[in-house]
Amino acid sequence: MSAAIAERMRSLDQTTEDALRPPRYGWAALVAVSLTCIAIGVYSWSLIIRFGMQYTGLNRPVGWGVLITDFVFWVGIAHSGTLISAVLFLFRARFRTAVYRAAEAMTVFGVMTAGLFPIIHLGRPWYAHWILPYPNQRHLQINFRSPLVWDAFAISTYFCVSAMFLLAGLMPDAAALRDGSQGLRRRFYALFALGWRGTAEEWRHHGRAYLFFAAFATPLVISVHSVVSWDFAVSIVPGWHSTLFPPYFVAGAILSGVAMVITLLIPIRRAMKLESIITLDHFDMLSRLVILTSLILTYSYSTEFLLALRAGPGPERDTLLYRATGAFWPFFWLMVLGNCVGPLFLFFKRVRGSLVGLFFVCVLVNVGMWLERFNIVVSSLEHNRVPFDWGTYHPRLVEIGITLGSFGWFFFWFLLFLKLLPAISVSELKEDAHHAALHEAAHAA
Amino acid sequence: MLHEPGVLAVFADPLQAARAVRAAHEAGHADVRAAMPAPFPEVMEAMAQKKSIIGAVTLGGASVGICLGLWLTIGTSLALPISVGGKPVVALPAFLVIIFEVTVLIGGLSNFLGMLIGAFAARRKSFMPHDPRFLRDRIGVFLPGAGESARVLLRAAGAEEVRDVA
Repeated sequence: MSAAIAERMRSLDQTTEDALRPPRYGWAALVAVSLTCIAIGVYSWSLIIRFGMQYTGLNRPVGWGVLITDFVFWVGIAHSGTLISAVLFLFRARFRTAVYRAAEAMTVFGVMTAGLFPIIHLGRPWYAHWILPYPNQRHLQINFRSPLVWDAFAISTYFCVSAMFLLAGLMPDAAALRDGSQGLRRRFYALFALGWRGTAEEWRHHGRAYLFFAAFATPLVISVHSVVSWDFAVSIVPGWHSTLFPPYFVAGAILSGVAMVITLLIPIRRAMKLESIITLDHFDMLSRLVILTSLILTYSYSTEFLLALRAGPGPERDTLLYRATGAFWPFFWLMVLGNCVGPLFLFFKRVRGSLVGLFFVCVLVNVGMWLERFNIVVSSLEHNRVPFDWGTYHPRLVEIGITLGSFGWFFFWFLLFLKLLPAISVSELKEDAHHAALHEAAHAA
Repeated sequence: MLHEPGVLAVFADPLQAARAVRAAHEAGHADVRAAMPAPFPEVMEAMAQKKSIIGAVTLGGASVGICLGLWLTIGTSLALPISVGGKPVVALPAFLVIIFEVTVLIGGLSNFLGMLIGAFAARRKSFMPHDPRFLRDRIGVFLPGAGESARVLLRAAGAEEVRDVA
């Protein structure tokens, strides 16, 4: 049995090293596309910096638009990594092992992308540091009662904890790669390995630290999107002012995050020949998460509407009806199709088992989730309490350019990650391989 | 880093490595060291290590975080008591969000630093010969200061390779 275990571990190492050599031209082409998108985004942002927010479609009363939609969307995308890493770790769900590293990386890059939007939306980004509490000559202090300040704290904490969580998991794998490489690559992996040598003493501390990270990250992941929802819910704008928002936002974030993980893993698995590690069973389990969170979200949509309708005539009901029948009605119904109807098809094993079908459903969810945030942000502001305060909003090219740039920024980092660091947790897979060998031996006996 | 002489055994099977560790303990070797590519439960259990102090470090960090969060929110509000919309200057329910985030941030940082410092201290304190195979597909068991009897014991446990470390 010992030879079989060693062989399995060696094969995992080989697969990881092969995976660090993705198809050269395909990878380079995707990086080029990402950099082009970033260039478009930077140019669009430069227009705002030079000429002001007039280059966006924002107006009175619609002061928040695509940029805030993007912010909420990317924070949501960042949620799956911690869910898959931390929550499933605490529940001892072993299927997470093959997929959590890519999801964690997605979390870090998602937060890095989301964090740009409040700064871009300021219009004058050189004042962004005013949100930080520091002694200053003006004797001004930030307002700790403001949800926007909560946001700054929540997002930066989430970024730091997610990055440390990712780094803690990476250390053993980076150390193995460090010892197997030379020159600049060796120095690069040494940076991530942080002196790791795999001793029992190191594993003892690592195991406890990882458990505490998971314990910290679980309430954090819930708090972050709850805080983002309070950006809206703490105001008195109809369509925003609801106690339902925190759980509704958290469920939506997990749905969009898991859908994005699946959307990315399907092509990665094929391009990097990881079929033996990321199996159809893993996708099956992730699909079940999509179904669960989609049902929670559908329930939230229904509750939001039914409560507003039952409350009788008033601004809340009018705003929600406007959302479904107003200027952006196709967005609303596309959102329902993507987030509520599409995932129902995953109840069929044939759809779940087909990667093409699953990919299609998950892309639809991603589109639906972006539209959900757009509907919440824009339709409520367009249709406030009194007709005097009604207006319309049309996104301008600058906002679309910045959105495109954000996708480029996210994918650029993700592609670099795939090229340079192991997208699967090799050390945990080795532990799993050992367990599997024990089970097989017991079964054979 | 310290350098100690002893006997190093290389195993391919975690069960055999665990058996070797237990046998070494039974033979009177109190100090048994190991290195492996993953925390195989059998080996970790056989090592019978003390519980890591990371929990206490993290708790300490989180407690500092709570204090820092309280100081930041209440302290700055009292230092600059501006009444906004008739709300109380010290509004604890609103401050709880900040306090929670600062607690998690400082707790998480101390957890991470605790792990790094713990691992670094372990490397400084107890020498374990390094072999790249211990990060890939083999388990190393090292008995510092051991002699011929240890070599026999490790071979009997199923070691692929047993060598002296000078």
